[in-house]
Amino acid sequence: MKALRRAYAILRHAVLYALFVLYLSPFFLVLLNSFKSRREIVSNPFALPPAWSLNNFITAFQRMGFVPAFLNSLLITTCSVIGIAVFSSMTAYLFVRTDWRINKVMFFAMVASMLIPFQAIMIPLVRIYGSLSMLNTPWSLIYMYLGFGSSFAVFLYHGFIKSIPKELEEAAMIDGCSRLQVFFRVVFPLLRSTTLSLIILNVLWIWNDFLLPSLVLISADRRTLPLTTFYFHGTYSSDYGLLMASLMLTILPVIAFYIALQKHIIRGVMEGAIKA
Amino acid sequence: MSRVKLSLSVLVLALVLSLSSAVLAADVHVTVLNSKGEIQAQLEEIAAYYSSITEGVTVEIAAVPVGQSPFERATALYASGNAPTLLMVDAGDVLLFQDRALALNGEKWVADAIENSLGMATADDGRILAFPVTVEGYGFIYNRAVVEKALGRAFDPKTVNSIDALRQLFDDIEASGQASIVIGPEDWSLGAHFFALAYATQSPDFAEIKKFQEGLKKGEIKLADNAQVNGLLDTFDLMKEYNYDKIDPLASTYDRGTELIGTGEVAVWFQGNWTWPQIKDFTDNREFGFLPVPISSNPADYGNTQVPVGVTKYFIMDAEQNSPEQQQAAKDFLNWLGYDPEGQKRMVIDASIIPAFKNITIVPEDPLAASLLEYVREGKTLNFVLNLPPDHWAQVGASMQKYLADFVDRAGLLGEIEAYWLGK
Amino acid sequence: MLASEKRFVDKLKNYLLFAGPTTLVFITVIILPFLFGIYLTFTNWDGISKAYTFVSFSNYKQVIQDPAFWTSFLRTVKYVFYTVLLVNTIGFSLAYALTGGKVLGENLLRTGFFVPNLIGGIILGLVWRFIFSNVLVFLGRTLNIGFLSTSWLANPNKALWTLVIVTVWQYSGYMMIIFIAGLSNIPKELLEAATIDGATGFQRLRTIVLPLMVPAFIVTVFLTIQRGFMVYDVNIALTNGGPFKSTQLISMFVYEKAFLSQQYGVGQSEAFFLFLLVAAISLTQVYFTKKLEVEV
Repeated sequence: MKALRRAYAILRHAVLYALFVLYLSPFFLVLLNSFKSRREIVSNPFALPPAWSLNNFITAFQRMGFVPAFLNSLLITTCSVIGIAVFSSMTAYLFVRTDWRINKVMFFAMVASMLIPFQAIMIPLVRIYGSLSMLNTPWSLIYMYLGFGSSFAVFLYHGFIKSIPKELEEAAMIDGCSRLQVFFRVVFPLLRSTTLSLIILNVLWIWNDFLLPSLVLISADRRTLPLTTFYFHGTYSSDYGLLMASLMLTILPVIAFYIALQKHIIRGVMEGAIKA
Repeated sequence: MSRVKLSLSVLVLALVLSLSSAVLAADVHVTVLNSKGEIQAQLEEIAAYYSSITEGVTVEIAAVPVGQSPFERATALYASGNAPTLLMVDAGDVLLFQDRALALNGEKWVADAIENSLGMATADDGRILAFPVTVEGYGFIYNRAVVEKALGRAFDPKTVNSIDALRQLFDDIEASGQASIVIGPEDWSLGAHFFALAYATQSPDFAEIKKFQEGLKKGEIKLADNAQVNGLLDTFDLMKEYNYDKIDPLASTYDRGTELIGTGEVAVWFQGNWTWPQIKDFTDNREFGFLPVPISSNPADYGNTQVPVGVTKYFIMDAEQNSPEQQQAAKDFLNWLGYDPEGQKRMVIDASIIPAFKNITIVPEDPLAASLLEYVREGKTLNFVLNLPPDHWAQVGASMQKYLADFVDRAGLLGEIEAYWLGK
Repeated sequence: MLASEKRFVDKLKNYLLFAGPTTLVFITVIILPFLFGIYLTFTNWDGISKAYTFVSFSNYKQVIQDPAFWTSFLRTVKYVFYTVLLVNTIGFSLAYALTGGKVLGENLLRTGFFVPNLIGGIILGLVWRFIFSNVLVFLGRTLNIGFLSTSWLANPNKALWTLVIVTVWQYSGYMMIIFIAGLSNIPKELLEAATIDGATGFQRLRTIVLPLMVPAFIVTVFLTIQRGFMVYDVNIALTNGGPFKSTQLISMFVYEKAFLSQQYGVGQSEAFFLFLLVAAISLTQVYFTKKLEVEV
């Protein structure tokens, strides 16, 4: 009985670790081949590179325009994420704490709008903003992310703010704080963990998003990292070493972000998924 | 924050607009929308040079961003009231702008334009709406050194003038152990170029081709009964038989094709002259040229000795949002390109454009362009059919891919193409 | 307090201060395009012509009568069916194996399985394009494995499976996390009591764990259905709809109808159909969740 259980435990470990290797193998293959030339990759994608040269990385880094793309992604993600968190928490606060019909209507409309998939409005969105000449700037894209991100964020904050007692705010009010001051000094700090989860979810969404930026950002120098990588692959479709290096360059910042914030990320994902 | 940004940007926009209109008052500005990204730098130089030699006129080149279609860009500019003076658009899109383009019938170059180059630019009411910018063409690209080495003798491309002659050529090449041909599986190549030959070979007269397409739209034409269509597919069958990628016919990429033909891995590849910049990276050999795609066994049949050549890009002149002064300046600029020796040289040599005008005698330097020009000079050209619906390349291309990979037989392929056209 | 504001002007000022920006972006980014989209479905606009006409319901009629649309839709249903099944089975199995300290290195394994979710579908698609078109073909040819020796991406019978495989790989770790959250909420005493009563591992799983996990399954199944119907990134990066449109899922179909075929009205009608479908799915989920809450 004991031997059987032991054998079973070994089997379980073997299966799980084999799966683990299988799950991560695509990334290792990309990493391995990013050091090789096209010819070496074609002749055997599993062989170790003859030399660990960074040439592919350097060439890919320059040719794909990694730095501007990274900065575009960073600017767009940061501004959108902060904007969503600040504006949505304020809105949710108002919706929870004041009793006005408009608030209820708006809240309902926002929650209902979460049913609309992006694809259902992308065509008119592009038509409208295109005709206003408001495409091809990061600011329009950030503006749109505020629109697409705020419903869920307001919903998430709304649930949490409801559970905060009013007394703290009333005390601050008596001390002569304005409404905005009350919000930012008293309420917003209490929302810290919700804000963090929300920021993580939004970073993963916006940093990796493709369809919306592909419709909004037109010039090559405005593109975000996923767009740049995608078009780079279209241009150099058979220089595999270069392609693999470009993929690694795109993946690395995300992995670094994950390692730094691992616990929060997993928690954020759980909260987000369950609330949604 | 966003409202502040918005109002700020509105303010800035207003400032810029007022400033630019102030500049406009002093100088005539011609803005040109360029949709050939690969010659942006050359066009900018041309514009700078032209501005420097003309008093009171400034020509500016704006680019269509990579990845956006010229049509989309132009649409956006029109909608925002910023239409350029000249818009370089794809041939198939010219007529979509007929409400907004200036008629250019009175221009001198109209008489000098090469045959068939204005068909796509002429509205039903006879207005000529666009200036033909550049000529492109396609066919079987051959690598002369490789072909001659495999044959063991000099090669005369003129001997390939029927399906049988093409088979003979492939046989002879393969006999020496050299791979003869590779088929690029790209939908745009198979749909917009290869199958377009079925329309082009119907008649030298563009009106007849249009009639053929109308017949397809009404479902009156049975492709299976059409000799040219069947001949073209016979050639395709031959290509499939010798295809270098026969085991996995859909896996290849465009890049790999340029490499295979450039390095001499294969002797022949179906593509167009736009591939030259990539091919030349793989070889120092400069002897390449085009063979026609034969459609029958009779060398005298139309199509067996001709290659499709056509104007793929046109300049449209805006009629609504630019002043008469701007329009006049733009007309002068076009005439300078077409008639001034310096303008001609800069267009043909610097920007590697094959011009669409009989009066220009300068020869471009790349061998594929030179080969096309030879066909033009000998009058051995087909129409480059460009008036296809915007999704033709994708849909018919997909059907051709099925045929290439043997997922559909000829009857099935033709049925799909007939269904595609029906009701367009 | 905010609630004490009585005058309309004060209320309005308050509203604009706190909810003004959100309201502005919400209306201009979601509501206006949504309404304009409905309007578009009744026109035949091609994007540039000055003149376009109202065509009443003919766009919708065209959608309903378009076999290509339905082919793509049914293909998407097939894709969704297999991904939902596999993602949830694998995700739950992983979660079940990785809770309760049965395995050494629990955290490392969880972390590893979750990694694919961090990276966008475009990048994942490009990574797998390399795997399918080079690595697996190399393996197949070297080891003489017939079904691997030609690229799956170039074979219309297999290409849809590449999408399923990548999606399962991408989302099973994500669903695993949700299942882990659910599993860790199951009271330990319940399981211990069952063990004392002599229940085998499988019996515990069937009679205690699975019934308690129904709410988690509702979440994950609906999430996978929704994402499945909306998938675009992996589709374009991995197969680009090919070979010959045999893997073009519905999102990509709609995109091409509008932006490639320049039939904005028809494309928007299709998009609107998608909206109704997704809304119906989500509302069903809400219904089931509510019903369970009442029963439990």
